[in-house]
Formats: sequence, C-alpha cells, structure tokens
Amino acid sequence: MSHARARSAESSLSLGGPPSIQLIQIRDLVYRVAGMFQPDSKLRILESRCWKRMQALGVATLQDYYRWLSACPANQTELVALLNEITVGETFFFRNQPQLDALHNIVLPRIVVAKSKTSTRHLRIWSAGSSTGEEPYTLSMMLLEELTGQLKGWTFEILATDLNQISVAHAEQGLYGEYSTRNLPEHFRQKYFVSCGESLQIDAELKSHVKFSRVNLLDDSKMVFIKDLDVIFCCNVLIYFHGAAKGRVVQHFYNNLLSHGYLFLGHSESPYAVNEDFRLVHLPSATAYVKLEKRPLASRVQV
Amino acid sequence: MNNPSPDTLRKRLEGLDQMPTIPVILYPLLRHLEQPLDRLDLQQIVDLISQDESLAAQCLHMANSPLFGLWQPVDSIRSAVALLGMQRVREIAVSCSVLQLLPNGAGKVNPKVFWEHSLACALVCRQFAHRIAFADPGKAYLGGLLHDLGIVAHLWIVPKEFQSACELARTRGIPLHEAEMTTLGVTHCDTGKAVAERWHLTADMVAVLSCHHHPSTATVRRDLVALVSLSDLLCRMSGMGYGYVERRQVNFTEEPAFAILLEECPSLKTFDWARFTFELESFMDEVHRLVTVLYSEPN
Repeated sequence: MSHARARSAESSLSLGGPPSIQLIQIRDLVYRVAGMFQPDSKLRILESRCWKRMQALGVATLQDYYRWLSACPANQTELVALLNEITVGETFFFRNQPQLDALHNIVLPRIVVAKSKTSTRHLRIWSAGSSTGEEPYTLSMMLLEELTGQLKGWTFEILATDLNQISVAHAEQGLYGEYSTRNLPEHFRQKYFVSCGESLQIDAELKSHVKFSRVNLLDDSKMVFIKDLDVIFCCNVLIYFHGAAKGRVVQHFYNNLLSHGYLFLGHSESPYAVNEDFRLVHLPSATAYVKLEKRPLASRVQV
Repeated sequence: MNNPSPDTLRKRLEGLDQMPTIPVILYPLLRHLEQPLDRLDLQQIVDLISQDESLAAQCLHMANSPLFGLWQPVDSIRSAVALLGMQRVREIAVSCSVLQLLPNGAGKVNPKVFWEHSLACALVCRQFAHRIAFADPGKAYLGGLLHDLGIVAHLWIVPKEFQSACELARTRGIPLHEAEMTTLGVTHCDTGKAVAERWHLTADMVAVLSCHHHPSTATVRRDLVALVSLSDLLCRMSGMGYGYVERRQVNFTEEPAFAILLEECPSLKTFDWARFTFELESFMDEVHRLVTVLYSEPN
C-alpha cells in the first residue's frame, strides 16, 4: 500500500469507502474561501449537498462541479448557493450545546471576575446574524436562569441583528414551530413559552431582554455604535464574506468587544486567514476567539 | 476509616505490587518497533499476534476500523499486513496488547475510558506528527498510546484511591494529575516512570510516560514529549479525555510544550489549530465506536 493512499484513507473516516479526491478538494476549497470545515464524518452530507447543487446547475460530475466552484471562488454566487445548502436547517433553539456550556462554565465566570474590578454589573451580548431569533432567545433564557446564580444582581441585554428584514420581523414576532423548538428542553418550554395553536409563543419577559434590528455588518456607520460588548456570537455568517470585506467585519468585532470579550463562531467555522487580531482558545468541546492585548485601541477600520 | 498513608501508597506504587508483568507480546513488539522496517521478520510478527486468539481477534476489529484506513474487510493478520502494511499492524498489535493490560472494570471507574483516551491520543499524535512534518510519526503514535500507563498501574494497585482522584477531578473540573497529587501524593507520571523503567522501555518512552504534563523537565526527546503533551491536551479539550469535562480555557500557542516543539518543527508556527480541532470530530466518533465493539468482545 502506498503512503499516498494511506494518507488519504486516514482523513476519510465513516464513509464506508474512500471519498473522491474531488470531494476532498471541494471541502478544502470551502474551508479556504469561507472558513467552514466539513469533518470527515460529514463528507457524505457535503456530497449530497453538492449533488443537489449539481442537479440545479446541470453539472454531471464532482470534478466538473469543483472546476465550476474553483473558477473564481471568492466572487461567485455558486459558492454562496452551496454554503446555503450546507447550513440549511441549522437555526433552532439550543443548537450548539457545547458552546452554551462553555459560555456558562468558563466564559461567564471569567467575565464576572473581569467586571468585578469595575462597578459595572451589566452584560452586553451581540448575536450578529441572528436569523429568525432562536440564538438570541436561547441566550436570553440561559442568562435569565443565571440571574439567580452566578449573575445575581446583574442585568443583561442582547442585541440581535440580521441583514434580512423578514427574518428580523419573524424574530420580533417570536412564534416558533416544531422544527425550531425540537431541541428545546422541557423546563425552558414550560417557563418561557406559551402554546399558540400548533406553535409556541415567546414569553414577554424573555423578549424584553432582546433588541432586534436590521444591520448590514459592512455598514460601518452602524457598526461603530454597537460597542462595549462582552460576547459576540456570529455563527455561519462570516462564511459569506470574503477577503477585505471579511477583514472589515472581523475588525469591527475586535473594536466592539471589551478587552475581556469573547467571539464565538459557528460549529466548525474559523475566521480563516483574517484572525491575526484574535487568538483561538479552546474551551471544553468548543472553540472561541479572544482579543490580542497588544494592539492599540484606535480603530483600524479602513472605510 | 483506615486510609493508607501517603508513604504507604507511594511505596506500593513504586514497588508496582499487583501490577501485571509486561504482556508477553508487548516486549517483542516494542523491540521490533525499534528496528527499521526493512530488517523486520514479518512472519515472526504475524506468528506472535496469531498465537494469541483473543489478541488476534481484537487486532482484526481494529484493522477493519476506518481509523486505520482499510476499505475492504480483512479476515486474517496476514491479509492485514498485506493490505495495511507492517507499520499499521504493529501499531494495532501494540494498541490491543495495552488494552489487554487493563483490569476488569469492577469499580466505579471504567478502565475503558482510559484506553479510549490513549487510543485517541495515539491517533491524534500520528496525525499531528504528519501535519507538522515531525520526524517519526510511528514513535509519536507509540508515545500517545503508552503515555498514561501510569494510570493503568493506578487502576491495578490503588483502585479505591484512584477512584477518589477521579471523583475529585470530575467534581472540580481539574486535570486528573492534579487530583492524583492531592489524593495519592503522586501522579500517573511518577508511577508511569516506575512502570517504564521496570519494563525496560526505551529512554524516549520513559520520558513520555514521566514528563508529558511537564515536557520541559524531560532530558531526552523533549520534542516527542511535547508533541504527546499537546495531543493529550487537545484530546482532553475535545471530549476525548477521561470521561469528564476539565473546566478550563487553553491557548495552545502559550503552552510550554508549544515552544519546545516549535524548535524542532518550524511549520508549527502557522499550524491551523482550528481546522485540526474540527478534524478530530471524526476521530472521536470512530474511536468510541471501535472501543465499544472491542469491549463487547469477550477477552
């Protein structure tokens, strides 16, 4: 057996057979351009998403599809279409439990310690790309529970923004069906929702902690006003920005976070190639980014 | 309750009372590992593995796992050697012989968890070694596999006290070696050193077993010790630890082991930790599946 085959096999678990080179190439291209990685255990799913797009385009083979994607990957609509397929159905309550556990067990205690040196007992969290609201409401539920625990005596607010006005309106309405609430623990369902026909309606108190608005992350005039944040969640959004635009958004995140702040991205998502301002930290079964301390405070955003 | 004093515990651990002797197969396998592949007597290795039916059966299970990259079923050690190559089969055989070293899980501590961690660590060490052009990925695998042999000794010699250490670690979310120090007065690194010396393991393995939590204290192969140290930590932070969550935040580039390994592997400077972490997800599922299968087989 050649070393080349051994290497390719090593990185191709759970497939029941070796994946095609083209599929690996597509996986690597998506990571290189969008920063979203599909682990070997999800290559089958990636393949089915590719086939769906190939059918829509009338492309016959993965090889041809790879050529199509790689022609001009950073500036074409097809990559966006594929990313949409990959992330479809990822919006639901309590989507990323390890991330929420890390927030609860590691990040909040650290922020409490950092802020205890000042008189501030207020948390500001930003859900950037909040879609239809499941993420900010999940955070709001978690933090409300903590007001009798590690956040006793604290207040908090959650800023939730999205580019899509329809999504923002849906979030403000706060009405959710079975799909969105499939992961919702019973305790939270009972406490923060009321039945409304076949849907669940968000409780008013929960809603009062979340402020929704339509924001384009590239709109510098708005971004500079979202300040003094303790934590930013930006899941499956940066993947749609490339090159300088992505750098600008990440720079805004850097400027808007407090020095002890944390940036959480989506599962298997990295600010690939634009992360010089942030440093990766490992939390239990999750990753996050913290600010490098050496930078001057002045904004470096090039408008 | 009459708990043994720290001195008594230390003496029991240093004397390795009740610890099984080195498995019959392990010593010749480890000796073979020190030889270049072209000087190996393949038949001798195949015979060694095949003469122990239980070991051979476990090896075949492993050989058929996607973790070892075989896409067609294999039903004999000889076929495994032909399809996977000698290097992989040696790794599999050593892994299974370490598995056979574990006591049956009668108490609250399940020995399976420790072997699962060791196997995961071995695989991560090898993958990591490939990625950063580390000179000897085979040695890295072995280091990852054997680094916690001290824990195996604790399971045999001081099971009750070790269980207390595990409970303390779980309750406080602290690293196991810190809990061992509180409960036992020694860590699995100290005991691992005694095991490695008793079994006449090579100097580099003695260093890995005794220094993987403090790689700067190693006097030989600090690069290998550092690689195992980082892989071990990455496993523990990625849900492939000892069955509990360590409540901590880790920045790998600030770990002492990182600076040590960087001296030997300059490509580590631009290593994509995020991607490597995402890749481990697949390892985790497969390792868990394999270990479940192996543990459901009668030994």
